Amino acid sequence: MTPDHAIEVDALSRRFGAFTAVDAVSFDVGRGEIFGYLGANGAGKSTTIRMLCGLLAPTSGDAVVAGARVSTSPEAVKRNIGYMSQRFSLYPELKVRENLEFFGGAYGLFGRHLNTRIAETLDRVGLHGHAEDRTSSLPGGMRQRVALAGAILHEPGIVFLDEPTAGVDPVARRRFWSLIRELASAGTTIFVTTHYMDEAEYCARVGLMVAGRLPALDTPEGLKATYVPGDLFVLRGPGAHADDARARLLAVPGVVDVATMGAGLRARCAADAHVRGDALAAALPAEVEVEPDTASLEDVFLAVVDAEAQARGAARAFGEGD
Amino acid sequence: MSETLQRLVGQLRAVVVKEIRQTTQDRRMIFLLTVAPFLQLLLFGFAIDLDVDQVPTAVVDLDHTPESRETIAGMLADGTLAHVATPPSVPDAERLLEDGTVAVVLVLPEGYGRDLARGVPTQAQVLVDGTDPTRANVAGGAASGYLGLEGLRLAQAQIAARLPEGRTLPSVVVRPRLFYNPTQSTPIYMVPGIAGMLLLIITTIVVSMGLAREREMGTLEAVRVTPLPTPVLMVGKIAPFVVVGLFDVTLAITAGAWIFDVPIRGSLLLFYGITALYLLTTVGVGLFVSTVSQTQQQAFLGGFIFVLPAMLLSGTMTPIHAMPAWMQPLTALNPLRFYMEAVRAILLKGATFTEVRVQAAALLVYGLAIMALATSRFRKRVS
Ligand SMILES: Nc1ncnc2c1ncn2[C@@H]1O[C@H](COP(=O)(O)OP(=O)(O)OP(=O)(O)O)[C@@H](O)[C@H]1O
Ligand SMILES: [Mg+2]
Repeated sequence: MTPDHAIEVDALSRRFGAFTAVDAVSFDVGRGEIFGYLGANGAGKSTTIRMLCGLLAPTSGDAVVAGARVSTSPEAVKRNIGYMSQRFSLYPELKVRENLEFFGGAYGLFGRHLNTRIAETLDRVGLHGHAEDRTSSLPGGMRQRVALAGAILHEPGIVFLDEPTAGVDPVARRRFWSLIRELASAGTTIFVTTHYMDEAEYCARVGLMVAGRLPALDTPEGLKATYVPGDLFVLRGPGAHADDARARLLAVPGVVDVATMGAGLRARCAADAHVRGDALAAALPAEVEVEPDTASLEDVFLAVVDAEAQARGAARAFGEGD
Repeated sequence: MSETLQRLVGQLRAVVVKEIRQTTQDRRMIFLLTVAPFLQLLLFGFAIDLDVDQVPTAVVDLDHTPESRETIAGMLADGTLAHVATPPSVPDAERLLEDGTVAVVLVLPEGYGRDLARGVPTQAQVLVDGTDPTRANVAGGAASGYLGLEGLRLAQAQIAARLPEGRTLPSVVVRPRLFYNPTQSTPIYMVPGIAGMLLLIITTIVVSMGLAREREMGTLEAVRVTPLPTPVLMVGKIAPFVVVGLFDVTLAITAGAWIFDVPIRGSLLLFYGITALYLLTTVGVGLFVSTVSQTQQQAFLGGFIFVLPAMLLSGTMTPIHAMPAWMQPLTALNPLRFYMEAVRAILLKGATFTEVRVQAAALLVYGLAIMALATSRFRKRVS
């Protein structure tokens, strides 16, 4: 364990019966880093988090979290982390303060120190003045912030957030993420899973999980450069509406993929193909407006899923793998 | 206080306070824990009458002699059987038995008096509705008991007639005297059992649903990721309900003493000690059920699967010796049985610890075993 790694994961695996939910995943997370974990439903994100939090024993492999091994000392791990589970995890019938008193007490805080921490944390998550509100009466966004408060009350060095913004409106999401960034800049390591690609852009590094494996891990820019290396163009106008527009564009040398986007089309080109915008416009029967576009993490996600599917297909063709 | 201890106490307090806050938020729960047991006690106390008397009886006297009338009067004398109908024939009487108008039919055949006078063996018939076995036993016993005595009396009279002047037959008279419950009052006998059943229902079911609810809501995961030790969590979750249980049992014996004149002859300290041992088991079963249930509904059902047979096989309602032979050993697995035996002994007989040590030991063993099982199952589910 190097001093600048908050989390070190080594070939971590978890099976449920014959099914492998997490398959030999390895990575490190630096101190104060915001580490994003992306993946489809059932990819194994929550299972990974639950192992890292000491809630679920790994079947094989191991991880060191905040200096403690999850396989041998899950209790030590628990003392040094905060965790916000994917499911709503507050007592709805209790007041905000009562919920925080319980979780603070469970983490071993008591007396005046606990009261001070509750006041500070409520301030920090922007819930000053809501201490006496019944939790069930709060809107979803505020409840998520109460849950976050419960997870950081004891000032953990690492916070695990499992889809913290699921089902929350965009304004509340933005607010939540500015809290996460504040926490990280104060030195807290953040491990966060999400389905929202725009949120993944906020992360220093992103791991992409596909069917229990972690085939891609890099900064958002690095991922884009690796998985969506060529130029991208958006085409709008009458020419893009032609029935055979897709086929015509795919016929242009260097174009590898064409997808509809809004009212127009989006063409992805191979790396080093140096396809020009005019060439695409010329291929269409009517006038179009062509604009260069930038890669998104969604492109990366689709490319990685594609590559994984191909790799598995190839493995099967050779009679190996699963 | 050492820092570790201080932290543990703080953690325990956090759980207890949370449980109390949650429970007091819920009006139905407060009713279930305090008012309902009291009402149940009254209901059970007044409604269940295990004493058998005034069993409706039909008399078919086909003989119409002084002997037959005397026999009938004798059979009805002790009040167990109440003469309510006089059908003209046996088939008529059977119809009354069938439709439930009467539960017992006494039939004295023609020639009964004549045969008795001649010293020829004779028969009187007693038909008993067997749907209620306790009643059937008692009613049948009352009728045949009288006839048995009557036969003995006649025999003695005949022998005595042949004895030389001045000598009498030796005789033994059995006069049963009931101890501890001389008036044979049902509530006195029932209240200890009812108290045990109330505790069983409240603690087992409420505790089993408590943990299942946290699992269902998703809060259990949030609790388990905190460094709260499992035993602290468990103790904190059950302690409030043990206190409620002790409160309810206090209510039960107080109401029992005032309303039903249940005596409190033994030591209260011993009574509460036994109750605490018993609660260890009922709460332990609740915890165990909650570790094998995913939802509150399953927990509720699971709780009942334990509670119902425990109540039926405790000896509260049906005496254990009246159960089928194969079933009797099963009652040795039943904590309610031992609790009830001990409480009856302490309250009604003033038993000391030595006299209930077997029951106390059984409760302790069951309590520790089920607690250990529940805790280990809870831990195992984590990984
Ligand atoms: N306790 C369990 N027993 C059996 N299978 C499980 C268990 N927990 C998870 N799984 C399976 O493991 C796989 C991964 O689940 P996981 O919850 O980690 O996915 P996820 O990436 O978090 O998905 P989501 O985005 O839906 O939250 C799923 O197929 C799930 O059904
Ligand atoms: Mg998940």
